[in-house]
Amino acid sequence: MRVKLLSHTELEAVKHVLRVKNVSFDPSQLLDHVVYMFEIEDCSRVTTHQLVRHRLASYDQESQRFSSASREGFVTPPSVQSNESAMRVYDQALKAAYQAFESMIALGVPKEDARYVLPNAIKTKLVMTVTAKSLMHIVWQRTALQAQWEIKEVVNVMLNLAREATPELWTKIIER
Amino acid sequence: MPMCCQPVMKVSLVWHTPNPERTIAVAMRRCYSTKPIEDIEVELEQKGREYWKYLLTRALQDKSLDVFEHYCLELLIEDTPEAEMRRVATAYPFIRLLPLNGRDWLVAMNARTLIEMWRDEIHKPFASTIVERLNANGTSPVFNSVVFGV
Repeated sequence: MRVKLLSHTELEAVKHVLRVKNVSFDPSQLLDHVVYMFEIEDCSRVTTHQLVRHRLASYDQESQRFSSASREGFVTPPSVQSNESAMRVYDQALKAAYQAFESMIALGVPKEDARYVLPNAIKTKLVMTVTAKSLMHIVWQRTALQAQWEIKEVVNVMLNLAREATPELWTKIIER
Repeated sequence: MPMCCQPVMKVSLVWHTPNPERTIAVAMRRCYSTKPIEDIEVELEQKGREYWKYLLTRALQDKSLDVFEHYCLELLIEDTPEAEMRRVATAYPFIRLLPLNGRDWLVAMNARTLIEMWRDEIHKPFASTIVERLNANGTSPVFNSVVFGV
């Protein structure tokens, strides 16, 4: 999994306007005005299904209608990886699903229909633009103790990148 | 106040997504490419502005306005009454307002909202003032030309 911050609002430019207009800087009021654009690569579709439930953001995701699934492009959860017997079952299931996908393509089924057999473990890529306010809500929910491990990893990286880019906005995570 | 004496809304660009047209093109290519983002960016740089123009035109034709949501704008709007700003913000819920003092506002929006506003006769004058500012600043010339014909 890889997360990259592609761009973000320059907080200094916004603060300059506040100074000129003689308005005091209140980070909580600017959460709606600062946006981040992320690239998220090679996490599973399990995770992106959870991510896109956060509707106050913009997403564009690699389409399975057009891009090809590859045999290497699957995520394996640590609980499976650490269990030899479970790993065998997992591997067989993925192989069977991928072989079925390839067989259908060979039989002339279009990718958009053959993809129905592909598992949620398949890796994907997306770009996401989100406000600090919305990201803070995502962080609040998806880094909680009970959150699922993979989205927790993704969102923790997003949090670190956002915090590094605009530290003044991230002195505390406000529950929303 | 009579119409002739009303101050004209003044728009300044505080910040915008860097390299807006390439950003929109990246979002489009993301849907159809398995490549890492750096490779997509290199490909788009090599193919140049004519290709970005083609992709933006295609997005408009296909009504795939979601890709324009990645082009974000932070504006300072001055000399505009609260009633006018609230009217716009109510019509377009993705606009975010921060009142600065009396008639001045920090306004955050994205290019999709700008397009939708520009297509709406009621809000077109408001959108046109923003488009004029983008044009005067030389910001996103390909986008301005493809979408607004300016």
